[in-house]
Amino acid sequence: MWTPTGAAAPQPLEQLILRRGQVIDTFKRELIRRLNLPYLPEDLHEDVSLLGSGLGLDSLDALEIVLCVETCFKIKIPDENISVLRSINTVVDFVLEQREKTGGQA
Amino acid sequence: MRSSPLKTQLAAAGAIHRERHGVEIVSHLGDLRAECRAVREAAALSDFSFLRVFSLPENPGMDVLDALLAGNVPKIRFGRILHTFLADQEGQLAADCYVANNDQEFVFLCESIRPDAELDALLAASGFAAAARDLSADHVVLSLDGFKSWEIVKKLFGADVLGLPYLSIENYSFAGTPIRFIRAGKTSEFGYLLLAPAGIAAQLFAALKTEVEALGGQLAGLDAHDALRLEGRFFNIFREGERVRDPLPLGLQWMIDFEKDPFLGGEAIKQRRAAGVKQKVIGLSAEAGCGDLKTGAKIYSAGQPVGEVVADGFSQVLNQPLALGLFPVQLAFAGLPFQINSPDGPAIRSISMPPIMPRSLTVKLDEM
Repeated sequence: MWTPTGAAAPQPLEQLILRRGQVIDTFKRELIRRLNLPYLPEDLHEDVSLLGSGLGLDSLDALEIVLCVETCFKIKIPDENISVLRSINTVVDFVLEQREKTGGQA
Repeated sequence: MRSSPLKTQLAAAGAIHRERHGVEIVSHLGDLRAECRAVREAAALSDFSFLRVFSLPENPGMDVLDALLAGNVPKIRFGRILHTFLADQEGQLAADCYVANNDQEFVFLCESIRPDAELDALLAASGFAAAARDLSADHVVLSLDGFKSWEIVKKLFGADVLGLPYLSIENYSFAGTPIRFIRAGKTSEFGYLLLAPAGIAAQLFAALKTEVEALGGQLAGLDAHDALRLEGRFFNIFREGERVRDPLPLGLQWMIDFEKDPFLGGEAIKQRRAAGVKQKVIGLSAEAGCGDLKTGAKIYSAGQPVGEVVADGFSQVLNQPLALGLFPVQLAFAGLPFQINSPDGPAIRSISMPPIMPRSLTVKLDEM
């Protein structure tokens, strides 16, 4: 099995993991704090559905998630872009995409 | 082997049956692509009578179920449904469960990877048998799924149906007979489960089939549901669940109330959680022509084996293979390149799930 300390892992892979991992960690911690979720960050799988099934959050919670992204990453989620809120991973994808568009300034 | 009361009607419609954990199920109706498309674009009707279904009186049903299941049963509000799981003493998955709080009764539905006798033995741990009535033998469960499925339930049961939130239960009647009506579904399109006495099963099946076909839909088997669940990233106990068994790498923590009273297998699960989860299941995709992304295949990174495929399917929406892979948590991130089957094998990629945007998310039922 591969281990993170092994010399075989190429640098770009580590950079991808680091970049994504930081956004995930920040978002999860803020999500748990804002919504008072009874979980640890490591309990929240990044693919778990945020609304409906999974965490079962409601429309008020969805607004909180939008504010969470705005506060943590200085990025606005457009009202019409509800697909972003499907899972933690889809939110993180959106944040990373926006950062790329703005050259990492977001 | 347990068979559906609707087997004759389904066989006449072209259904191909197979056995799964001691239960005869509809595998497919000859055209997997058409069955999946029916759900995404119109509606599909499926026989879900493979489910074990029980009714328990509120007292002692609430305490009995709470002692068995990972979720918090006393917290279920009237008319709502808890999605949780049943584990064995070792904290390994046995069944994916819905518990519905329905007017002085709890309705308990299990997708079990244990044969009926083994499931009964597990449930016996909390005095379940004395409290529960097994509805599986004399009821059918029909699953109506699809972008337009709401039109059918509105026509048959009235516009009130559209006000039901996801994961809720209500009692309606069909042909003068009470049925339990559940809004649920694991396809990411609108979904409804209809729990009806076997005496009206054929009549209800015929009525739903007529309406489904009028919308351009059709019958669908469980192979299609497997593909749709993967595409919508709904947990599938019959695929990744059965292969991994441990709810923590599967990401099912959301089904667990870690603060509740003891439950079957809970101590083992909490110990593993405290020790730190070492592996995690994540989404994978490959190019359209790649035939290697199959369950059991080894996944490589930098020349070394790092994971294994635990569920696979083909997305009709994306026109490409999808899978779930079990990885060490240090590598369990979307957006990474891997190889499949060998260090020089075809390129695959970890992806964010769900990878599709279901059409049903664009419809507001309360405005219909």
